Amino acid sequence: MMHSLIQLSIAVLLLPLLSFVVLIFFNRRLPRGGDFVGVGLLGTTLAIALYIFWTVIVQHYDPAFRLAWDFTWLDFGNVPGVGPLQVKMGIVIDNLTAIMLAMVSLISFLVHLYSTGYMKGETYYGRFFAYLGIFTFSMFGIVLSDNLFSIYMFWELVGLSSYLLIGFYFHKDSAADAQKKAFLTNRVGDIGMWLGILILYSQFHTFGYQEIFAHIKNGDFHMSQAWLTAAGVLLFMGCVGKSAQFPLHVWLPDAMEGPTPVSALIHAATMVAAGVYFMARIFVLLTPEAQHVIAFIGAFTAFMSATIAITQHDIKRVLAYSTVSQLGYMVLGLGVGSYSAALFHLLTHAFFKACLFLGSGAIIHAMHHEQDMRWMGGLYKKMPWTFVTFSIATLALAGLPLTSGFLSKDAILAGALGFAQVEGGGIFYLVPVFGFAAAVMTAFYMGRQVWLVFFGESRTHLKPAEEHGHDAHAAHGHDDHGHHEVHEVSWNMRLPLVILATLSVFIVFSPDPLDGGKGWFMHLVQTPATVVASTEAAHEGAKLHAPEAGKLLAEAHTDTQHVEAAPAAHAEAASNEGEGHGPVYADPRQAEIVHMTHANHWNAIKLSSLMLIAGIGMALIVYVFRIIDPDKTAQAIRPLYLYSFNKWYWDEIYDATIIKGSMLISKILAWFDANIVDGLVNGVATVFRKFAFFNGGVDKYVVDGLVNFTAFTVQTTGAVFRKIQTGKVQTYLVMVVFAVLGWFALYFAHLVK
Amino acid sequence: MLTEQLLSIGVNHFLTISVILFGLGMFAVMTRKNAIVILMGVELILNAANINFLTFSKYNGGMEGVMFSLFVIVLAAAEAAIALAIVINIFKTFKTVDVSSVDTMKE
Repeated sequence: MMHSLIQLSIAVLLLPLLSFVVLIFFNRRLPRGGDFVGVGLLGTTLAIALYIFWTVIVQHYDPAFRLAWDFTWLDFGNVPGVGPLQVKMGIVIDNLTAIMLAMVSLISFLVHLYSTGYMKGETYYGRFFAYLGIFTFSMFGIVLSDNLFSIYMFWELVGLSSYLLIGFYFHKDSAADAQKKAFLTNRVGDIGMWLGILILYSQFHTFGYQEIFAHIKNGDFHMSQAWLTAAGVLLFMGCVGKSAQFPLHVWLPDAMEGPTPVSALIHAATMVAAGVYFMARIFVLLTPEAQHVIAFIGAFTAFMSATIAITQHDIKRVLAYSTVSQLGYMVLGLGVGSYSAALFHLLTHAFFKACLFLGSGAIIHAMHHEQDMRWMGGLYKKMPWTFVTFSIATLALAGLPLTSGFLSKDAILAGALGFAQVEGGGIFYLVPVFGFAAAVMTAFYMGRQVWLVFFGESRTHLKPAEEHGHDAHAAHGHDDHGHHEVHEVSWNMRLPLVILATLSVFIVFSPDPLDGGKGWFMHLVQTPATVVASTEAAHEGAKLHAPEAGKLLAEAHTDTQHVEAAPAAHAEAASNEGEGHGPVYADPRQAEIVHMTHANHWNAIKLSSLMLIAGIGMALIVYVFRIIDPDKTAQAIRPLYLYSFNKWYWDEIYDATIIKGSMLISKILAWFDANIVDGLVNGVATVFRKFAFFNGGVDKYVVDGLVNFTAFTVQTTGAVFRKIQTGKVQTYLVMVVFAVLGWFALYFAHLVK
Repeated sequence: MLTEQLLSIGVNHFLTISVILFGLGMFAVMTRKNAIVILMGVELILNAANINFLTFSKYNGGMEGVMFSLFVIVLAAAEAAIALAIVINIFKTFKTVDVSSVDTMKE
């Protein structure tokens, strides 16, 4: 018997698919391209998802809430060489799922609503809503999956819908290139992910998360720990591709070729966060080594893309690099073991980044498809709604206190500091350092963006005329120098902005504007205990830091008397830390990280506030008070500026190495094919041809010669004999007479003898 | 004298006539182009053969020669009838009785 919530979640999963099926087949026959079908079905989905959210989060309010249901989808029996092969499909609903369902359906619904305004008049208006439907379906699939196999299927489906939507303007070469790039880059990551799944499957013969975790906990993993690390890192490759982490981050900025609502839904809020969500699902099986890899990649990605975002001109590209940077934060958070902080950031980021993208979409729409920030300016009076919501989301992204972004980013940074201390400092301090550096730059580039877009004088008329040609607004009838009348967008585009901006305020998530840990999210989504047996190194680390940790403990709880063994102390500390706060961790390393994270909470707040002030202050100095001229500065540090402006030359590097390399390999293979393989085939063919010609010669000259010679002989003889056959009786008679005379002559000759 | 002369007619005279007739008939068959003249030549040859039969029959004293010559006469009659019919048909087809021009089966 299925639980009613499971049944409802199946409805949530399938309604967007229904929207896709209806719209892809009938969008031309329905009035208004069938947009009401998409919006209506997504509205229903949202209502159901909110009901699930209400039941799970508000009514139960239990960190251990978990509902699961599965069935055997494919049963191959005992496959030779593989063992029993059974593929199950199932649904799991826990707090994280309920929150993700509500978040995805809300943003998807808002984007549907927004698109009715933004995409108005597009040629393939109905098809756009169909694609949004299949994307939402696949995303729900990822969220609800209870095993690696089905998440991989839905993983590929979101990849497909992302491909379709990036290339929505497929008649543009840049969009077609971008969609190919996104698809191929993701494929690289997905190969790794699949290999990781296979490593786990080869050991346990199951795809289910819970079964795998239970097996690892029981010590059923019979290969060395290195293989488990490899499995973790390979699974992380899927996240690297989908969540655009270095080195596969190159596709996400190019994906901005898609329509802006798509950027908001897929390439900012949901799909790119799926990588982080997936890592969270498999978090407990990550070994410390795998976590180190993840932490460093996340930190580096956060830092690198923030440096790129500073110099970009395209409003969407700045946001795209900002998204990559924030995803880097989330990955960093998972790597340092701050599971709940990373997921918290995923949720808050989804709202404010969707708000930013939809806001930029409103600006682009109002500016008649102008995306270059250099030619904007002074929009705050003309677009007050957009300005206010965009600013709130910007502050949330920069991490200003009182916003949701502050809560989650702080939790991650505190986790990074704690992680660095537990791991013994040194190179591990790079992780928090990159994190804080990215925080400065985030504040700076967002300040720059808001200033360039909304303040100052309108610079539309400064745009060079020759760049006008490629814009699709020749039909808008612009007057001199392409100056357009800019005004606020309609209600169906404003409403999503307002809702999303509201959700970027701290009170939604936590009553305390400075501590997300007091909020419902951190209570309900707690870092699960790792199932990987702690290694010697981890033990040593724990021992190494035992005195320090003990000291901190002593400070925190002056009445403490039990500082016997470090693990026990941490377990105790964790359980004492706030009311009902934090489970007990058996793993010493994990317990210590959790403890140090709490200890570093205020340090992180102080540091990140400092960084925020520094970043916004820089933006003010450069762009508002113009104490430092940005253009002159760019000239002064031209190599650095170019390095950032050209995105660290990653595209060029990949072009020179991987793309050129594979082109070279394919050329070599083509040569091999053309010369060796074809040569063999052609050689055989030539031999046979020669033999056939020889055979033909024999046939022609010997066999035919015999036949023709016979015929020739007969003909010649016939021609001679024909002369005798005159057809005149007299001639024959004469011959008879001569014959008789001859015979007589012979007779008499005999007689004479 | 005459009787004596008549009585002195012997085998050689008959055979001489027969040879002359045969030679004339042969000559007619070999040289003439008219089908009817050729037929007449054939009749001459047959009659030369008859004279031979009768001559040897008379001087050998048997009836076989007479019988044969009767057969030959009957045969010649039948042959003449058929041959003439053929000649008439040839004439109907080719509008001529010239045997040298009746040679469509030659090639």
